[in-house]
Amino acid sequence: MKPVLLEARSVHAARGARAVLHDVSLSLHAGEALALVGPNAAGKSTLVGVLAGLLRPREGEVRLMDRPVAEWDREALARAVALVAPESEGLSALTVRDRVALGRYPHRGPFRPFTESDTGAVTRALRQTGIEALADRSLGTLSAGERQLAALARGLAQEPRVLLLDEPAAHLDIGHELALFRVLDEVRGCGVAVLAVIHDLAQAARWAERMVLVAGGRIAAEGRPDDVLQSPAAADAFGVRVRGHALPGVSGPLYSFEEVEK
Amino acid sequence: MGSVRLPLSGILGLAPLEAAHHSILWNVRLPRVLLAAVVGGGLAVVGATLQAVFRNPLADAGLLGVSSGAALGAVVAVNAGWASQVFLALPAAAFGGALAALLLVYALAHAAGRATLHGLLLTGLAVSAVASAGLSMLLVATEEFRVKTVLFWLAGGLEGRSWPHLGFGGACVLAGCLLLWALSRPLDLLSLGEDEAASLGLPVHATRLAFFAGAALVAGAATAVAGSVPFVGLLAPHALRPLVGPVSRRLLPAAFLGGATLVVLADLGARSLSARIELPLGSVTAFVGAPYFLLAIRRGEGRA
Repeated sequence: MKPVLLEARSVHAARGARAVLHDVSLSLHAGEALALVGPNAAGKSTLVGVLAGLLRPREGEVRLMDRPVAEWDREALARAVALVAPESEGLSALTVRDRVALGRYPHRGPFRPFTESDTGAVTRALRQTGIEALADRSLGTLSAGERQLAALARGLAQEPRVLLLDEPAAHLDIGHELALFRVLDEVRGCGVAVLAVIHDLAQAARWAERMVLVAGGRIAAEGRPDDVLQSPAAADAFGVRVRGHALPGVSGPLYSFEEVEK
Repeated sequence: MGSVRLPLSGILGLAPLEAAHHSILWNVRLPRVLLAAVVGGGLAVVGATLQAVFRNPLADAGLLGVSSGAALGAVVAVNAGWASQVFLALPAAAFGGALAALLLVYALAHAAGRATLHGLLLTGLAVSAVASAGLSMLLVATEEFRVKTVLFWLAGGLEGRSWPHLGFGGACVLAGCLLLWALSRPLDLLSLGEDEAASLGLPVHATRLAFFAGAALVAGAATAVAGSVPFVGLLAPHALRPLVGPVSRRLLPAAFLGGATLVVLADLGARSLSARIELPLGSVTAFVGAPYFLLAIRRGEGRA
């Protein structure tokens, strides 16, 4: 197994007064594709926030390359871990290229000018995500899906060791969705650990090497995607019946989902 | 030019000026034009800054209670009679009011844990409302002959301002603008939203506080010396963003120049348009600003 880059140890976390995560442990290895799945309000985004160092756990700790995240300098942490999350309300006047260039902030800080290696990283990120044509458009004029690709490009421009994505494909059409997961695989090929929160379970099973199911703020199942999806824990968490169907010429099962009478 | 005609050749140093004209040029006109530039530039920079911090193109100095705090301070100074007794007491009190309002907004918004942008906006609104209410009450209680001083000040204007005003206003505005400009990369980061900025290694709350302090210094000083000059903070950044781009490192200096030009021209209009009275500067900027804004909205809707 590849080395562990990011690790949560018995994490308890809260949003304000509301306890969200209970005793969650998770490790993420170099080059790994890990899908985080679970019903709405299960605590997936909170877990991602804790892993990214944005939210301090109440108990337990998060370790990055075997050092507690709390001990990392902010900018050094941002050079190692990139987070691509749904945007908060309000709009920036910046262009796509400006936003992607800010991915270099952890490398240059507030005052040092950008170098050629920075511009190179920005150009590569725009090309990889296929949004060069949008580079000079203002973020406010883009569709939600286009903004999502711009956010991904910003994360890639950070050149991190760990890439955390919260519903990266939520607004993408199927073509862009497949392209997104191809890009994630390219990045993994360079040893980057990728964790993505994914709602589309079939897509999650196709892409991920490992799947972690979060329900009620705890880890309900973990392992190979096909095993997790067909486990009683998954049926229980989502309140659906999951069935895998083998189809000739297609690797891995195709899934169908049915609501369970309550 | 102006209500007293000065010969152009004299201004340019080509012909000797009469002593009275010399005095008008150096002690009245020049500081006034420079002050107009400083006030306009400062308000435009504050507008551009707060628009990025709040991720809202309609943000300006009024949001954080700065304007109404300054107005309340000015009325207190007039009501207590300081304004007529102590030189610069009115601008000093207005400045104090602006800073006090901002501190109050920040303290209240943080009282319930870490402040969100939303919480700050609502707190700013509440503090502004209270300050305005206090202003009205004081105004009613102010002796009649002093009310006019307040009204003139509230309407915005540069009449009778001279070198001391420029010294105080200019120093605060320029220092604050330089601080904001130095932090232009963090400002761009903040415009991406709190979580994205934090995930890129920015200490969000400390940085935001630095921007509020800089903005309050600039807007407080500008309002203190010129009264209320509306729309400059909205107009200048809005007009210049398409020309120089949205990146703060370029936008802030451009906004300063644009705002400075706007207010210098508006002040020229204020003292030249009518021979009998001097128009309030704030009314001139509003008369120019509001129609421009309506046009810009129209164009924006036509595109979308």
